[in-house]
Amino acid sequence: MTVAPAPVREPAWSLPRTAIGLWVTESLIGVVITALVVGALLIWVPADLGGPVPFLRWAVPVVAVLDALIAVFVRPWLKHRVYRWEVTQDAVYTRTGWLSQTWTLVPVSRIQTVDVTRGFLQQLFGLATVAVFTASSQGTVRIWHLEHGVAQRVADDLAARAERTRDQAT
Amino acid sequence: MSAPGEPTGPGEVPVPGQTFWPPQPRRTSPRIVLVDTATFRQARQLVPIAVPALAGIGLGGGRWTVVALVVAITLVSLATAALAWWRFSYLDGPAAVVVTRGLVSRSTRTVPNDRIRGIEIEAPPMHRLLGLVRVRIDAAAGGSSSAGRGAGKDEELLIDGVPRAEGERLRTAVLTKRSRVPVPTADDVDGAPARPDPEPEEEFARFDNRWLLYAPLVGGYLAVPVAAVGALSRIVDEVPDRLLPDVDGPALDPSVVAVLAVVVALVVLAAGAVIGAAVVNWRFRLVRRGGSLIAVRGLLTRRHTELEIDRIRGVAVADGAGMRLVGAARLNGLVTGLGDAQRRGQLLPLGPRAQAEALSRRLVDDPGPLTPHPASARRRRIARAMAAGLLVTVAGAVLTVTSGWWPLLVTGVVLTVLGVPLGLGRYASLGHATGRRSFAVRVGWLVRERAVLERRAVVGWEVKQSWAQRRAGLASVVACVGAGRGGYIAMDMAADDVAAFAVAASEPWAEQLLPVPREPDRAMR
Repeated sequence: MTVAPAPVREPAWSLPRTAIGLWVTESLIGVVITALVVGALLIWVPADLGGPVPFLRWAVPVVAVLDALIAVFVRPWLKHRVYRWEVTQDAVYTRTGWLSQTWTLVPVSRIQTVDVTRGFLQQLFGLATVAVFTASSQGTVRIWHLEHGVAQRVADDLAARAERTRDQAT
Repeated sequence: MSAPGEPTGPGEVPVPGQTFWPPQPRRTSPRIVLVDTATFRQARQLVPIAVPALAGIGLGGGRWTVVALVVAITLVSLATAALAWWRFSYLDGPAAVVVTRGLVSRSTRTVPNDRIRGIEIEAPPMHRLLGLVRVRIDAAAGGSSSAGRGAGKDEELLIDGVPRAEGERLRTAVLTKRSRVPVPTADDVDGAPARPDPEPEEEFARFDNRWLLYAPLVGGYLAVPVAAVGALSRIVDEVPDRLLPDVDGPALDPSVVAVLAVVVALVVLAAGAVIGAAVVNWRFRLVRRGGSLIAVRGLLTRRHTELEIDRIRGVAVADGAGMRLVGAARLNGLVTGLGDAQRRGQLLPLGPRAQAEALSRRLVDDPGPLTPHPASARRRRIARAMAAGLLVTVAGAVLTVTSGWWPLLVTGVVLTVLGVPLGLGRYASLGHATGRRSFAVRVGWLVRERAVLERRAVVGWEVKQSWAQRRAGLASVVACVGAGRGGYIAMDMAADDVAAFAVAASEPWAEQLLPVPREPDRAMR
């Protein structure tokens, strides 16, 4: 995607392709809400108000349409290329984002709790999120949109191993 | 000395080897009823009920009504304070501290000794008059709720109004039991006012009153006079006009008035900051006693905070722009599981930079001088510092063209030009260093902070790279720690250095970040 090499290693595993469907659905819901807001703007804000209104009356819809096109037809696939995860012998490792990317690495020995959450849309697609918490308010890893069975197995495995290897350094 | 109901009076020497079993709950001193009556501590909670009730009954405005009201409120306050005292008891048992309270519904809170992270003894002015103290016992949040949410205020036991010696006894007893020393019974039941702690003290820092002069250059203390002036102006607003003195003096030149106002404001600000700093930090002392650091400070309210050295994961040296001018700094300890860490973690509230640095080296290994970040980071800092000014400039240009109003354009240009030194300053602050057992990161300009952390403190790494950073070959790294703010950032370091820095600054698990292609360990799925 870019010429410059990533600062750190890429996690090994990608998400299931159903995640793309989920992201497209999320984008579509966002597009509908934006369309309602823009529609309300066009209907109820009179065009002869002066000031920047005439300019906004065509600029806002154009921006909204561009954003909708990217959100529905580009971003889900880009995200699917960026979102990656990996559970190794001693750590959980993820990459998230699309334009801005974030890599998060948390060692199993410092895990405090592991949660599995299934949002409403996620349930429709049979997906779940694994959230791994540490003692730090910023050191939380979320593995988004795994197949539900996989998520549950990962969470159980991590919780069991964290119990065995936990150290008291934190 | 001892409160009624206390099982062991002074002078009652316990038989060695024989423990008091089961231990009896203790009461706070009845003198606390006086303090609480005067401060309306319990009665205050009734205000939301009382006000509408009184408004409903309706009162005449006579003098006797006011007197009756004052008497009634005081009586209510006395009654509630006495009830609260009567229903409150605490017990520092061999395994846990138990606090029982509640007027109607009883609540019992039990905190196991091994969850106790520290004890703070404070003596507000009224307490000091009556020889009482307030003991706060800080506890780690329980298992799952602590995850990523930190210890909140509710994870704290408050035992308000015990005699000073009893507070001291409680502190020693709880801390001794927690460290699993087998039953030092003589210490446990000794209510003598003499310090029962035989361990030698080592002084780490002592406040020099000349340091108060730094206060006007520290943002936090400047807020004190501003708040005071705000409160005062509100009071003046309330006073009826006819009571205000007539201040129409001889007419003065407006420019003279403006200069005078600025001078007066500056003097008030500076004096207020110094007074505020003095009230909080008066006779500050930091000593080490055994495995703990003890900080004592305060003019009106004396605070006595205890931090376990074993839980100190690092320190943060804060020296904002104003403090750098005079070579001052503040030192905070980064302690795991410490509630209200900003206030309690203070190891040197205000002092010369050299002293803060020396103290920091005493607590955490010095990782050496900071490595500056690459030149592209400087371009990025300047660009970001100018961005806001540029936006104002563009808006100003549009306004100048459309309506001829030029001041915004000038402001925008000035802000943009000022962005250059600001960006340079922010770049100069950036840096990171790794040592044998610790590492350091520094960021900020107006509020600059250098965090020095032990390698074992890191519980995770977060590497962030925006689109612009990727093009500039930069990345930001956040070391996640379970202490202080929770994360410390090394902003805009060279992308190629990120993995090596993470490995050098934490334990071997961070090698996972190294960009060498390696076979993932699938066996663990």
